[in-house]
Amino acid sequence: MVYITSWDEFVEKSVQLFQADPESTRYSVKYRHCEGKLVLKVTDNRECLKFKTETAQDAKKMEKLNNIFFTLMARGPDADISEAAGKEQAEAQPTKKGRGRKQ
Amino acid sequence: MVLLQLDTFLNELTSMFEKSTEKGSIWVTLKQDVASLKSKAQRNKMRTVGSSIKYRCLVRATDGKKTISTSVGTKDHQRFQASYATILKAHMTALKKRERKDKKKAVGTDNKEGDLKKKPNKA
Repeated sequence: MVYITSWDEFVEKSVQLFQADPESTRYSVKYRHCEGKLVLKVTDNRECLKFKTETAQDAKKMEKLNNIFFTLMARGPDADISEAAGKEQAEAQPTKKGRGRKQ
Repeated sequence: MVLLQLDTFLNELTSMFEKSTEKGSIWVTLKQDVASLKSKAQRNKMRTVGSSIKYRCLVRATDGKKTISTSVGTKDHQRFQASYATILKAHMTALKKRERKDKKKAVGTDNKEGDLKKKPNKA
């Protein structure tokens, strides 16, 4: 079992793994409340990537990863990952609003 | 393996989380569930033609004893995603919350302890 320490590396590798073989890749999450541990696993039955954490901060990051996988699996592996789209939208909105009042 | 509707699945998932607070684990697995009506060969043909394949996301959850599952389609996935995220946020409360304030306080107390240790030595 390969435990990856860097979150960004885990996300990048798991998305690559999924896009290489979307039909056999799966994403699992195990949560133990009594121990306060969260373990994420992405595997295509050949390679396995894991990430474990005890922090709420990583749980927030996991939610974003959940969104990425939901989008990829429900819309197709070629779909644009919503994270990128979300960030672009967030950047676009402030510029549109602008500060209209000229002082 | 029980296949449920989206909302029923979410309710069952919530009760699973509530039951396993003192001991036990919860596993949730996501996998692509291409409509199994077509065989692989036909799917490849469809891809080359360019027609849209209905993608679905299979979600399974288990507490070690009972397993529930549901299939999320393209139109439902955003709604399901939001509800699922809410459930997780509400129940994953046992995880540590690291605050920078705690770290600063720890450094401050360490310094004080260091000074106290030094003084008796000098005297």
